[in-house]
Amino acid sequence: MATGSGHYPIYLLHDVVKKREAKGVAFRLKVPSLRIDRGEKIALIGESGSGKSTLLDMLAFVLQPSAVGAFRFRPEEGEDALDLDASWQRGNLNILGDMRKRHIGYVMQTGGLLPYLSVHDNINLSRSVLGLRLDGTVEHLAEMLGIADQLKKRPDALSTGERQRVAIGRALAHRPAIVIADEPTASLDPYAAQNVMSLFLGLADEFNSTVILASHAWYHIKSLGLRRLAHRTTRSKGSKLTETVVSG
Amino acid sequence: MIRNLFKILRLATRDYLYEWQMSLCFVLGLAAVLGPLLVLFGLKFGIVGAMMDQLIEDPGNHEIRPVGSGHYDRAWLESVREQPEVAFLVPRTRSIAATIELASEHSSRIVSVELIASASGDPLLASDTPLPEGLTRVVISRRTADKLAVKPGDVLDGSLARRYRGQQERVHLDLTVAAVAPEQAFSRDGAFVSVQLLEALEDFRDGRAVPELDWRGTQADAERSYPGFRLYARSIHDVAGLRDAFADVGVDVHTRVAEIELVQRMDRNLTVIYWVIAGIGLVGVSLSLGASLWANVDRKRKQLSVLRLVGYRTRDIVWFPIVQALFTAILGWALALSIYFATARVINVMMAAQVEAGQQVCLLLEVHYAIALALTCGAAVIAAGLAGMRSARIEPSEGLREL
Repeated sequence: MATGSGHYPIYLLHDVVKKREAKGVAFRLKVPSLRIDRGEKIALIGESGSGKSTLLDMLAFVLQPSAVGAFRFRPEEGEDALDLDASWQRGNLNILGDMRKRHIGYVMQTGGLLPYLSVHDNINLSRSVLGLRLDGTVEHLAEMLGIADQLKKRPDALSTGERQRVAIGRALAHRPAIVIADEPTASLDPYAAQNVMSLFLGLADEFNSTVILASHAWYHIKSLGLRRLAHRTTRSKGSKLTETVVSG
Repeated sequence: MIRNLFKILRLATRDYLYEWQMSLCFVLGLAAVLGPLLVLFGLKFGIVGAMMDQLIEDPGNHEIRPVGSGHYDRAWLESVREQPEVAFLVPRTRSIAATIELASEHSSRIVSVELIASASGDPLLASDTPLPEGLTRVVISRRTADKLAVKPGDVLDGSLARRYRGQQERVHLDLTVAAVAPEQAFSRDGAFVSVQLLEALEDFRDGRAVPELDWRGTQADAERSYPGFRLYARSIHDVAGLRDAFADVGVDVHTRVAEIELVQRMDRNLTVIYWVIAGIGLVGVSLSLGASLWANVDRKRKQLSVLRLVGYRTRDIVWFPIVQALFTAILGWALALSIYFATARVINVMMAAQVEAGQQVCLLLEVHYAIALALTCGAAVIAAGLAGMRSARIEPSEGLREL
């Protein structure tokens, strides 16, 4: 059901659960209900270990939920919503991979750049896998991110901040419907973090991408106009079970 | 999609070149195990091969000599000659009668030589050597040729004596040197002559007439009998069978079966020892290759996860470590081959004096290089493929967090 002018749900989740257990400590993430509309900018705030990354990974289809009520994904207006749970159940990871490569850009906490590729080729990686031609997008992104004169260098010749900008460039280069960013500025000093974050959100606007952002601190993004997801973490006695409930 | 496969191959190549120091270590590690193994195999193949060649080529190993003297008639000898296992057979006359004194105008010496019955196909004479024939053409041994200072084409004076009707008698005959036999054919003073000439000399000594040479005497017997023969088997593998066949008809023979069996047993033992070492080496190569490739894939898990995150499919990504493993396998094999070539050359030059011309102590055939390459690539692909599949199967999110 298209509701017009960009306000249609790109993600629609009901009763999605992911359970994990490590060293006798159980962890459970519950999502009773989550709707993310096209073009929204979502912030997921919480301390480390609260399950932010788990939710992001599920939204990027790189982590399979333990139990699913509904997990629907509609990247483009007018297309049928895809039942991703069915793909997971069938083990059809290639469909998930195809969805991801076309519609999702992912900014990792520490860049995740390939050391053997130049900055240009790292940014172009997400385009190259889709077979997109060079059309100046890479150069434009580099210009906007202030790394235009680094395009020929390898990642190990860049500063941490510059590497994060390359990672942002790569996540946006194929003009995805969604950009998922897991603490993209955690390794930067506050001033650089602010700088990179506003560059990122500005470019996401320009590319008309939905943004889902995880951060451990609300204060340095609260001025950026993001919708914050409701989020509650409880620890049982003796810390045997940590449960996080996210909805929005 | 083939296109993405090519992209993965390109990425794998760029990574391999970018990490050239690491890649070089893998290549050196492989060559360090494979190179000595090739040298070992080359030595085994070369040494045992040369030994078997010598065994097969040395006519002495094919020879079957009757022990003592017997009475063998022509018909029986003919029937033996017709057996398929027999390569060469000529009758021999009594050895006491098979001598002659030779003199030459180039030398003052008179040399008494042994006469060896010969004919076409004599294994002691090279196939291109002119054969002794009739009553005039003989092939003399190297030693005799040197003593008499003669060369092929020269004419010798042969003489022999007998006591006939109470009188000492000496006859002379002209013998043309058809050829000089090589040293290894006969090392003493000797001459290869036709059976016809041997019979004539024996007849003379026994007091019988030889009309062809105008030597007088009594009439020859109608049926001639020979005390022995020279027999060579077709191959060393036929010697034991012929020996047993002769034993069955009561002819005691002397052969080199024992020596042949010794070398054959040595070949078998060496082969067993070699395969034990080669087996250990092969396991070593596989393990060293497998371990390093496995560790390498583990090290690259994060990078492979990134490729998955940007949308490469699992079955394309598996090729990433496989291609790199193939690079290591092929380069390591090439380096091992260079090590082998250099070592083999040194060994062969050092040992050249100890072996016959054209023989190599360390030797491998093209097919051995190909087998080594195939085994190495096979082991590399299996190790990298297994490791790649394992890392492709894990949830990409796990690989990402380590980055």
